[in-house]
Amino acid sequence: MQRKNTKWVMLGCLVVLGFVALPFLIEGYWVRVTTSILMYAIVTAALNIIAGFAGYAAFGNIVFFGIGAYTTAMLMLRVGFPWWGGVIVGGLLAAIYAILLGIPILRLRGHYFAIATLGINRATEQIALDWGSFTGGGKGITLPLPKMEIQQFYAMIYFIMFGLLLLTVLVNFMISRSRLGYALRAIRDNEDAAEASGIFPARCKITAWAISAFLTGLTGGVFAYWFSFIEPATVFDIMIAVKAFVMMMLGGAGTVLGPVLGAFLIELISETVWGKFLTLHMMILGVIMVAVVILIPKGMLDMFRRKFSLAGLWRNLKNQAV
Amino acid sequence: MFLQVLLNGLFLGAIYVNIAVGFSLAWGVMDVINVTHGTMIVIGAYVTFFLFKTVGLDPFLSIPASMAVLFCIGYISQKYLLNFVVKIGIFMSLVLTFGLDLVFINSVLFIFTGDYRSVTPAYSGTFFEVGKMTIPYVRLATLVICIVLTGLLQLFMTRTRTGQAIRATSQNRQAAEMIGVNVARIYSITLGISAALAGACGSLISIVQSFTPFEGGFFIMKAFIICVLGGLGNISGAVVGGLLLGIVETMGARALGTGFQEAISAIIMILVLIFLPKGIVGSKYK
Repeated sequence: MQRKNTKWVMLGCLVVLGFVALPFLIEGYWVRVTTSILMYAIVTAALNIIAGFAGYAAFGNIVFFGIGAYTTAMLMLRVGFPWWGGVIVGGLLAAIYAILLGIPILRLRGHYFAIATLGINRATEQIALDWGSFTGGGKGITLPLPKMEIQQFYAMIYFIMFGLLLLTVLVNFMISRSRLGYALRAIRDNEDAAEASGIFPARCKITAWAISAFLTGLTGGVFAYWFSFIEPATVFDIMIAVKAFVMMMLGGAGTVLGPVLGAFLIELISETVWGKFLTLHMMILGVIMVAVVILIPKGMLDMFRRKFSLAGLWRNLKNQAV
Repeated sequence: MFLQVLLNGLFLGAIYVNIAVGFSLAWGVMDVINVTHGTMIVIGAYVTFFLFKTVGLDPFLSIPASMAVLFCIGYISQKYLLNFVVKIGIFMSLVLTFGLDLVFINSVLFIFTGDYRSVTPAYSGTFFEVGKMTIPYVRLATLVICIVLTGLLQLFMTRTRTGQAIRATSQNRQAAEMIGVNVARIYSITLGISAALAGACGSLISIVQSFTPFEGGFFIMKAFIICVLGGLGNISGAVVGGLLLGIVETMGARALGTGFQEAISAIIMILVLIFLPKGIVGSKYK
């Protein structure tokens, strides 16, 4: 057991070192691609906390991304905050938003919660669109440009995103081992039974959603600084959340590393496919989504653990059919 | 003036009812949120557009055609894809239909390109006047067809064996299975009917407004709001919710202007979810 652990820790260190060395080895374009992959991995791993562990389908989670992005933009432009100040306040505001909304919304279960989060995302996006005098409306808003060499800037964003990803994975790991993690999984499996055995579901769910929102908000803030131009349609884009769901499910919902693996796999496919079939790109993503749900609903990690076989797949399919 | 606004609200509400009836049926019976419903409406509109452009078929006469096409799409989607995930939880069916939605949107985009399309028969701008109210013929016909379709659905659900089987399955899947209902087949038929209603709705919408392959998201958001507002799982819920939303939106736009309209309807939906989670007339299909 001890030995096996050491092996995994060594492998982990190697991967981290590899990522640290990466921007020195690859060209500018690939640095940006990797940064965007890292970004998806963070959003997915943050989503995993509420959707994977607690089983609440927060399809509108991207609202926190938008809030982080807009807070950063507004604070930098209108108050003159440094970018990191804006990002941190953005994360905190997203967490507060999650707590305030979570108190009523997290009482809803199943589809109703999913739809409520979609509605929140839509309403917040519309407010950002209609309140043009403050947010810049549909025309979007341009942030102050960084005062440094562009290559250096992209490398810096890369390291920030990587740091955020490490933080998110660490948070996931700690939750999975903590009382909160066990409580969340109990809630996912049977909320009434969890409550009967002395868990306060409301408190646990709100904590989980706030953590998830905080991490997503931070990422949104960094994204705003990175792109230096944001508009409601990009930062509140529901497709980001939907993609995050597929990545999470492909990797394995409720596992620590699964969502990150899923994000890397889908984004790499997406990036290589994008170049070749520009028009078919979205259709291929759709097909991947359908295939993931039908063929490996429990995720890759689970599939590797119990030896993949076509016969097993067929048996599973027949079992879960109506 | 008030009467005119109310009437416009009623016309809009009729379309909303039509948008939501099929969506609510699939949700109520199978507990599946069919995100593709919006795009199915768009496909219906394109069927009408295609028949109008190639054969010159009157858009109202193409309703059966788009219903047939959409019934097949819905039936096949349910039989070969959705039936495998209905039982294992809500993530699965949501992500699956999101994926399917992307496939549908891009197929339509591939066939018809992303240009704005509209169906304009000769009578599309004509209207008559009653007192001070103007009533466009097309809108009136749309209203009548919505009423007929909803009535037919009600009759189908209560008077035919298949309709009764659908209601039985909705109430209790296991019990229905025990008394010999083929649940898999009933589910496929349910999504087929749901999609066919979307197709009819699309045909009607194609006459009223112009459309692109990407319009589905707008319709699906309306369907969410209406189902939440009226309550899930029966036809009267969709009718009440649709008419209410249509009238409230028209009146709201008149009183407050069109800005913030969508934000307001989304906020209303969230408030209804919190304070009235069963909607105004919500219950299971009975």
